[in-house]
Amino acid sequence: MTADAGVRASRLLLWYPPAWRARYGDEFAELLAAEFAERPSDRRRAVNVAFSGFRARLADVGLGAHPLDPTAAARARMATLACSGALFAMFGAAMWSQLATGLQWAATQDRGITQALDLMSVALLTFCVVAAVGLAGLIRAAIVSVARHRDAALRKPAALAAASAALLFFGGRHFANGWPGTGGHLLAAHGIVPAGVVAFCWSTTMWITSYWAHPAMLAAFPATQIAWMTLTPLAACGLMTGTAQLIRRLDRSPGALCFETWLGRAGGGGMLIFLCGVMRWLASAAAGQRAVFHVGSIDIVGLTVIVLGLAAGLQAMRRAELARR
Amino acid sequence: MSRSRGTSGSDALETLGRSSGPASLILSSLADGAKHGYALTKDIESFAGVRLAPGTLYEALSRLEAHGLIEALESQDRRRPYRLTAAGATALNSYLKAQRQVAEVGLSRLASTWAMT
Repeated sequence: MTADAGVRASRLLLWYPPAWRARYGDEFAELLAAEFAERPSDRRRAVNVAFSGFRARLADVGLGAHPLDPTAAARARMATLACSGALFAMFGAAMWSQLATGLQWAATQDRGITQALDLMSVALLTFCVVAAVGLAGLIRAAIVSVARHRDAALRKPAALAAASAALLFFGGRHFANGWPGTGGHLLAAHGIVPAGVVAFCWSTTMWITSYWAHPAMLAAFPATQIAWMTLTPLAACGLMTGTAQLIRRLDRSPGALCFETWLGRAGGGGMLIFLCGVMRWLASAAAGQRAVFHVGSIDIVGLTVIVLGLAAGLQAMRRAELARR
Repeated sequence: MSRSRGTSGSDALETLGRSSGPASLILSSLADGAKHGYALTKDIESFAGVRLAPGTLYEALSRLEAHGLIEALESQDRRRPYRLTAAGATALNSYLKAQRQVAEVGLSRLASTWAMT
């Protein structure tokens, strides 16, 4: 193989996941080198490799058919479910805290807003219960792995997830003290939502904002707040990555994986209820007004992310069902 | 060949989804001996007039290997040859006989209705 062909083949191989490259990488590179020698330039070949690599990546995260390692794919599906849930939790909490904060400032007569907040609150509560049960199962599996001295591969992802979670928790608590709802109506129109929870959700999702598109306005924010808004998405990514790696590496029985799929279904139900709440908000008269309940472009972005996350989660559950048959 | 055996052979390839077409070509190519990726591409091109793109070829190879219809041999340098397994031979036999039955019915009807030979 010439050096040029080797470089071109290596580039094309990047479309595939690491596990696929480890198994087929060398021989596939040889085939590509022979193809380059026969047909130096072929765009259809590059597109074919890209699509095939994308399908291999989908299978690697449990979203596609015929994974290289079915056991690893079963765990990867759970990791995908967890990531989909984490995206929902972040963007859902951002929307929910926006509405709840709005109610601190302006008691509305619009039933659409209070009904939307009811639905979204129930959905997030359901989701939190499901996430807590799932987390308890993971902690139990981690304890079993530690007891069996199989924890070497778990240390780094566990440290990453714990450090990111601690940063989000303590930073969130700190910045919640500057909550704009302070001094408002203390949820006069909606007493079921604890103000501290709203403040925490608002501060940890402060970075989900359209201010990024308006740098001049963003520059007026305190430097610590801008630093926090920059750090939070990184911490959220760290938490998701660490947790996903833990889920992929922890040994669990088929029964435990089946239970996790069931939990995923319950979490998906919570997400659907949340989407109903968002739809109710969108349909309310206050959504179109330039006030605290206005639906902005950032809410549309959040809604899109939640829908995409839900679609990925549903696909993971569908694949889990097919694999079980 | 009984109908049930024919069905099971077809099923073995149809479970490969989008790779079932390339899979039958690969199994047919491997029927006369082990081949590596590029040799498979050239052989299939010569007998079927179809050039399998590299991504498509390896997608089908990995699925056939996962289903135990082919197996990888020890690597000669970086090129790894593949050969048909007994299960693969049975599946290909059933699939091709089912295809032949369809072809014979179609050809006989064309001959009787359209006078085509």
